[in-house]
Amino acid sequence: MKFFDLLRLIVGNLNRRKARVALTAIGVVIGTAAVVVLVSLAIGLQRNANEQLFGIGDLTQIQVSPTYGEGPVVSGPGGGGGGGGGSSQQKLLTNLALDEIRAIPGVESVIPRDYLMMGGMVKYQKMEGWGNIIGVAVNNLDVLGVEATEGDTALGRGVAVIGVMVPNNFYDPRWRPGQDPPVPPDLYGQQIQLIVSKYDAEGKETRKNITLRVAGVLKETRGESDWTIYMPLDEVKALNEWSMNRRINYNKDGYSQVIVKVSDVDQVLEISDQITQMGFQAFTPQSFVQGINNFYVILQVIFGGVGAIALLVAAIGIANTMAMSILERTREIGLMKAVGATNRDVLSIFLGEAAGIGFVGGLGGVIFGWLAGQGINVIAIVYLAGQAGQQGGVPPSVAVYTPVWLPVFALVFSTFIGMASGLYPALRAATMIPVLALKYE
Amino acid sequence: MEKPFIRVTGLKKHYQMGGATVRALDGVDLEIMPNTFTVVMGPSGSGKSTLLYLLGGLDRATSGELSVGDQSLTGMDENQLALFRRRTMGFVFQSFNLVPSMTALENVAFPMQFAGVTSAQRSQKARQLLEQVGLSDRADHRPTELSGGQQQRVAIARALVNDPSVILADEPTGNLDTSSGAAVMQLLADLHGSGRTVLVVTHDPRMMRFATHQIYLLDGRVVSEAEYQSAVLESVQN
Repeated sequence: MKFFDLLRLIVGNLNRRKARVALTAIGVVIGTAAVVVLVSLAIGLQRNANEQLFGIGDLTQIQVSPTYGEGPVVSGPGGGGGGGGGSSQQKLLTNLALDEIRAIPGVESVIPRDYLMMGGMVKYQKMEGWGNIIGVAVNNLDVLGVEATEGDTALGRGVAVIGVMVPNNFYDPRWRPGQDPPVPPDLYGQQIQLIVSKYDAEGKETRKNITLRVAGVLKETRGESDWTIYMPLDEVKALNEWSMNRRINYNKDGYSQVIVKVSDVDQVLEISDQITQMGFQAFTPQSFVQGINNFYVILQVIFGGVGAIALLVAAIGIANTMAMSILERTREIGLMKAVGATNRDVLSIFLGEAAGIGFVGGLGGVIFGWLAGQGINVIAIVYLAGQAGQQGGVPPSVAVYTPVWLPVFALVFSTFIGMASGLYPALRAATMIPVLALKYE
Repeated sequence: MEKPFIRVTGLKKHYQMGGATVRALDGVDLEIMPNTFTVVMGPSGSGKSTLLYLLGGLDRATSGELSVGDQSLTGMDENQLALFRRRTMGFVFQSFNLVPSMTALENVAFPMQFAGVTSAQRSQKARQLLEQVGLSDRADHRPTELSGGQQQRVAIARALVNDPSVILADEPTGNLDTSSGAAVMQLLADLHGSGRTVLVVTHDPRMMRFATHQIYLLDGRVVSEAEYQSAVLESVQN
């Protein structure tokens, strides 16, 4: 039997029982729509969560810290901290250790960096401010995956590259309540003063004043770099040495932090594990993202499963309709066989009809589910945007997101479900003994 | 001497009904020559329809040999039987068995779909056959819009659509009034006249007029005309 003839016959047969086909297909419509809406919702939620995670940093980076007794030191305004000192269990980020990390396959680069370990103030004209001052052992910050909005990312002697939020930290010390709040200064291309101080045993303060030219302002990443003033590592090292009155030997004391850049995002977790096994502390946003993604995959499976139950009920409906239909058309089956239809012809016809019901239902379900998803989107975005506005969060762009593969999959799946539920009735029809089918009353 | 076209030896068909074995056919031997018009007579339950369906490959015998032309039906699988029915046999039933949703033309053309004939050829052939049975003006009518006699003529056209060498008719006039029955009989006779082998199971004595051969069946066995007549008489007297 030719395929096109088969198709026409199937469409004709479905057409002559419109009401019954429609009623059976409604079950499939509900099931497919449920799958489409629920899975879209899970995917939408995941995308939302990932949008909120934007700013967690470059996913190909691993932050590695030495193992101290008390964990990594983070300096802030006026904060200080000791780098060295410690016990025999320490695992320090010496140049030797860096070579070991560099040797791990998949590691693209290893970038040491150090915090300024003393109180410091930044001045611009009459304004005062502060920033997270980090020295990085690179000539250009673009290796860290950041981009400049103004200027460029190249570092050099006497040069600083600042995060986009740094100007917001500047304030006018003479400002009094009642006056207009000061406007954050545009620092690009300007000279800023870095003023650091140390105290000797008698408590006498010594100050040091360094002039820096702001050569670039970085794009917003919603991460650490927004609030950071980047300097060359050597200069930060020199300041730290001045502050501690001793030489820092990176071969002995190690770096306070190293950024490991991995070439392939899929290898990040594996390499992070290897670094941890070497005795260092490794942190990668990827492990966090992975955990969240796993949660949403489980959510998708559960949501999809709820829809699948609705589809299962619909499948039983199709099986029932087909069984009834075959009973009613027993004589027609007998006739088809008498005029030369093979078992395979009969099987194809009835499987095709069952698949047709699944397909029609699936089509309805996809359309209905997509429309319902859009409806939810409109309502949810208004509501969630209101909430995010109140809490100062990022407003979501989507609540329900339907990727292209989902309707295609749903349509194929519902057609397959239809065919599978028609299999038993169709096999019964195909294997009927013609004479019994013809005599059936 | 001419070779028989249909050859039946020791044909038996038994089936179970409520624990008892029914011997619908109990050892039938037959030879039917090509281009004959054979009428099978017998009271109901004598196994005449069973014989017809076994010949047509619509059912399988319990035992015995059955061959049509040079094909033996005994060893055929389902698929081969389907092809045998498609190419060699044309069926006409008492209850017409037209597909109610299809027009007369579509009903006639229907079997050709399974044979893989193109759509254009199908409707051309179907039209030609409807003309042959005198129904070209009814081509687009559905079975419910046709009289019984017209429906049976559509069914005969359908039986001819794959050019079978044998036409098997099971009580073709059973559901028809006298005049439409006569028209159907004439059609069957014409088919015989055009070189086909026709086998008709019937109660209708008028069919005898067209018959070249008669077969009498009693309780699943072939009997002579004399035996048949005496048995019928006996049952009437009792």
